Amino acid sequence: MKLRSLLKGAMLVAVSALLIVAVTLLGLVAFIYYNSNGGRDWNTPMEKLSSTLLWDGTAYSFTGDELLEKDQWAILLDQEGQVVWSLRKPDDVPERYTVSKVASFTRWYLSDYPVQCRVREDGVLVVGSPKGSVWKHDIAMDTQALLQTPIWFLGFFLLALGSVLGLAWVVLRRWFRQEQQVRDAARSDWINGVSHDIRTPLSVVMGYAAQLEEAPDLAQEHKRQASAIRAQSQMIRDLVNDLNLTMRLDCEMQALRKEPLQPVAFLRQTAADFLNGGMGSGFDFEIDLPDTPLPEIKADPFLLRRAVNNLLINCVRHNTPDCSICLGGREEGKELILWVEGGTMAGTVQMDSSQPSEPDGGAAHGTGLRLVAQIAAAHGGKAEFHNGTPYRCELRLPVKE
Amino acid sequence: MAYRILIVDDELTLQNMVQEILRQAGYETEVALSCAQALERFRAAVPDAVLLDVMLPDGDGFALLEKIRQVRDVPVLFLSARDEDEARLRGLGLGADDYITKPFLPQELLLRLRAVLRRVYREESHAVRLGEVEIDWGKGTVRRSREEIALTAKEFALLRKLWEERGNIVTIDALCAALWDGPLVGYENTLMVHIRRLREKVETDPSHPKFLLTVRGLGYRLRREGTT
Repeated sequence: MKLRSLLKGAMLVAVSALLIVAVTLLGLVAFIYYNSNGGRDWNTPMEKLSSTLLWDGTAYSFTGDELLEKDQWAILLDQEGQVVWSLRKPDDVPERYTVSKVASFTRWYLSDYPVQCRVREDGVLVVGSPKGSVWKHDIAMDTQALLQTPIWFLGFFLLALGSVLGLAWVVLRRWFRQEQQVRDAARSDWINGVSHDIRTPLSVVMGYAAQLEEAPDLAQEHKRQASAIRAQSQMIRDLVNDLNLTMRLDCEMQALRKEPLQPVAFLRQTAADFLNGGMGSGFDFEIDLPDTPLPEIKADPFLLRRAVNNLLINCVRHNTPDCSICLGGREEGKELILWVEGGTMAGTVQMDSSQPSEPDGGAAHGTGLRLVAQIAAAHGGKAEFHNGTPYRCELRLPVKE
Repeated sequence: MAYRILIVDDELTLQNMVQEILRQAGYETEVALSCAQALERFRAAVPDAVLLDVMLPDGDGFALLEKIRQVRDVPVLFLSARDEDEARLRGLGLGADDYITKPFLPQELLLRLRAVLRRVYREESHAVRLGEVEIDWGKGTVRRSREEIALTAKEFALLRKLWEERGNIVTIDALCAALWDGPLVGYENTLMVHIRRLREKVETDPSHPKFLLTVRGLGYRLRREGTT
């Protein structure tokens, strides 16, 4: 769901970016074409203008004043570079020009006035516009380079597109993450609140049930009922605890407190706590540890104990007390494997016995095994659930280098 | 003399239940529903320990703990529905003696309260019985059939650790930690030697121990039955 939303967002940004780039480029090309020589034919008015300036043998007559703006001026230079006719010529425009000056202003400016020129039989007609009114730029390009322009253009376009997409990806990801964090926090707060509100009444249920269980004057049948209430309350307690932790891990709100851990000591203590708590009562419990010491790992002991304990409790809950439960550890390559084996898990879920199960152990397992997989993942490892007889679950954790 | 415990919790039903559990176990109880009431009862009743909820109507248990400690240094156990690491670490960081998460079993509450009281008030009887054998913690000896046998320092520490956890399995690593200040690899064989010698002193038939039992692969357990 998250990935789908992210892809949708990325596509939206990509299309928007393409549209922006395309419209901008088209607008730019159209603007340049319209406002430059390519768009406006500056030669046409010059040609017309030139045709309205005639020599009658004694003097020049000019009838094209309407073709000029009021602030424009015009001069005609003869073949010697001398001004022989002028209209509204500014004072700072010289009367005589050398060849080099003529060559210069025909391309650029004449005394800072942008000018246009028209070569005639009797000389050069020059029309000047007010200073600063026109920007002139001379473009010269190697033909080879001109031919390569489309390739360069495509390259820059792709680079720009890549940059836009990259930026969009980063921004979108952050945005989605923030959105996710807000949603996660709300969800976590809600579950936290609900579980908090369940805990106090559950304490009363569990407490009184346990007291009734021990009450000397209560009938055996009622004691059995009280015991069932106590046991079921404990299951609700475990479920609430698992739900809370699974949510915190899911929302990345559970900080890992990693510390160096001796796996053998850890497994022994976890097994001892499990047995001391009376959970394994009636089951044939074994611990299988190698003769050589297992490598030290960095792990959160609280979370890892919770994971192993969940596996042990799972074996107890889904099997009858006559079956055996085995807890063990071994080293395999760069992995430390903590495993729990026992029972058949009959009545929980049907899985292909030859294949590892789904990472969450299958939805039917509920939060207990999902939490195991989450804890393994939080430690950079994974949990594998192998259905069959006996049922086996392995926690594969990376060994510290 | 019975210990007096102040229970601070705004949930009346839970408060009543805890009160019943503690009274049945032989404790005297005082109750408070709020921070203000708790401080007033704490000053008036002079309890030996406090069971404290974190979320109270007129403040939080953490602040109340600090105020209580300003008046008098007594053991405080949090009894809270907040199970997050942050809350637990904050409570213990402030100097609470234990942090019990709701829901809890009455037995768990009693055991943990007893452990704290024993630690704080050094509650101990000098002599205890392990079947036919009497252990004198003061003298560091065991008496069997009028014969007094001295325990070595390691044997004493070993027996003490097992006694404190009697009924429960104590792992090899936890015993090594108690004897040599850390779960030391390679000390397991030495531990076995100490166990064997200890059995010779406390068991009638060391080859078939009745009290100091081996739990294969895990550690040892001192049987609770027959101990007083």
